[in-house]
Amino acid sequence: MTETFLSVRDLKVSYRVGRGSLDAVDGVSFDVPRGSIVGLVGESGCGKTTVARALTRVMADNAFISGGRMLFDGRDLAALSERDMNALRWREIAFIPQSAMNSLDPVYTVEYQLNEVLRLRGGLGRAQARKRCEELFEMVGIEVGRLRDYPHQFSGGMRQRVAIALALALNPKLVIADEPVTALDVIVQRQILDQLRDLQRQLGISVILVTHDISVVAYICDRTVVMYAGHVAEQGTMEATLTQPSHPYSMGLRNAFPDLQGAASGVLTPIEGAPPSLADPPPGCRFAPRCPFSIEVCASVTPPQVEVEPGHFAACHRAGEAPALRERARHVSTWMAEA
Amino acid sequence: MSHLKAAASRTLQLALVLWAVVTILFLMFRLMPGNPLAAYIDPTFTVEQQEALMAQFGLDRPLWEQYFIYLGNLLQGELGQSFRYREPVAERILALLPNTLVLTFSSLIIAYAFGILAGAYLAWRRGSAVEQAAIPLVLTTRAMPEFWLGMVLLAIFSFWLGWFPAGGTRSAGAEFDSLFALYTSGEFLTYLALPALTLAIYSQGLPLLLMRSNMLDVMKEDFVTMARIKGLSNWTVVVRHAARNALLPVMTSFAIAVGYQLQGNVVVESVFSWPGLGRELVNAVSASDYPLAQGAFLMIALVVILMNLVADMLYTLLDPRVGHA
Repeated sequence: MTETFLSVRDLKVSYRVGRGSLDAVDGVSFDVPRGSIVGLVGESGCGKTTVARALTRVMADNAFISGGRMLFDGRDLAALSERDMNALRWREIAFIPQSAMNSLDPVYTVEYQLNEVLRLRGGLGRAQARKRCEELFEMVGIEVGRLRDYPHQFSGGMRQRVAIALALALNPKLVIADEPVTALDVIVQRQILDQLRDLQRQLGISVILVTHDISVVAYICDRTVVMYAGHVAEQGTMEATLTQPSHPYSMGLRNAFPDLQGAASGVLTPIEGAPPSLADPPPGCRFAPRCPFSIEVCASVTPPQVEVEPGHFAACHRAGEAPALRERARHVSTWMAEA
Repeated sequence: MSHLKAAASRTLQLALVLWAVVTILFLMFRLMPGNPLAAYIDPTFTVEQQEALMAQFGLDRPLWEQYFIYLGNLLQGELGQSFRYREPVAERILALLPNTLVLTFSSLIIAYAFGILAGAYLAWRRGSAVEQAAIPLVLTTRAMPEFWLGMVLLAIFSFWLGWFPAGGTRSAGAEFDSLFALYTSGEFLTYLALPALTLAIYSQGLPLLLMRSNMLDVMKEDFVTMARIKGLSNWTVVVRHAARNALLPVMTSFAIAVGYQLQGNVVVESVFSWPGLGRELVNAVSASDYPLAQGAFLMIALVVILMNLVADMLYTLLDPRVGHA
């Protein structure tokens, strides 16, 4: 594997709720190798967006990083002063939001918003900024003439391209994309993902792609980090985690999504139940209450990260039996019985 | 082009509204109890004067014919003869209108400048002690009746401290070459201060509270969060993005407030003996000077309608989403 570029270690992010606090992200560790796309997957509320926002240190008013490190090119983002952190924002760490409609200011032209970043953050002069705007629009395949248009004059897919252009404006090293294609139809999704991957390879940037959609991960990511209830359930290369899932949650996820390649895989099987409340998480493995393979130890002891093969980790007490469990997980009855 | 088209269609709509107002005024003054002639002809006019007016307004003709004569007269700016002043109503109104507009605009500009800044500040300092003290204070100023506030200010700053004159627009005997010379004189400002302050204090609550609540909403928008993720300075985030967007409805409310304020002027102009349209309206009604009252009503309606048009156009200018839709 290539050199690690971003290394998140034991990250804890908490929200103040009432008089107490709730750990939305509880001891998350993963690595982003330089020049790769890492998919952060999980269902709503698993903490994936919270991790993404923690990396920018722009979080909800009641959220705070309560532990851990985020080593970015040798610097710990969690420990930087606000001033030093702000120096990194957009110049080195850029962000592509889910809804480009709401994340572009409606009263300014797209050019104005690109210029704002180029000139205020990038220190470019008027002429240079103008040139860069055109370059960026060509890069994402939008007519240069549309620079003077307002956000509402673009279609959803176009706006997402504008968001990509905006993110790439200052040649960042890391781009965090939070559900970048979720609001789009599948055809446009594919176009945008293709473009994102092409640009990522061309420019050699690293990308963290937050999504709930396994098929998006399968389509574009190099590595996968599967999150469940504020923990990392499993991580490894995309192929390994999707073809040989070693955590029962990943096995279940795979059953619950249609195959992106279009092969008819039969019935979609949901995972019964809902994630636990983070205000009062269950002891032991957080997936245990929904897991068809849970055993006695699961309910009391938090499972360690087990390296099932080099670079492929699963936080499961039964990770050693993964091949057998995988076989059982293929059957719909396995998941129905445990409901 | 689309802007022009929108403006044209709005103007047409407003012409219709104006026509409705004019028609209602026509009917109102003719449906009042008593002799409809009383609306135009005062018994003390000379016989020649009475006959001239009868002919001019067709008061001896059927109602529908009178209506068209009335419309025709209006189009020529002919509003009749004031009973009290024995001079054309149009002249009288045009002489008073500038005083009212100066008072209205100066007080509203102060109120909006203050309200917008303070509202944005309070939104930014949400939850602080300053905010918690300020909101009830603003609500209190909003709840104070204007005439009461005007009298309190008069009592303190004019009668007690003697800093400002008690009423009018100029000292007795002072002459100015033009209205412009009057309005730009230092003396005029001392006359303007108290009535303008009264109206400003009364009016600042609306833009302040509107700006504050808009800001609080806009601050939650994704594009504000994105501006922070971009590492833009606090000033850029709060002013260029949050305040700029929060300002849209406030600016529209300014134009509408100008129209609305003319009502408030009726009271404040009376308290401060301000020779404006509002005070004239009150005097005209109490003196049964129907032509003058009718003219003043019409002029106030005209300003309200015009300012609504301005509000619409302002929105089109400030918000690129409007007009393209």
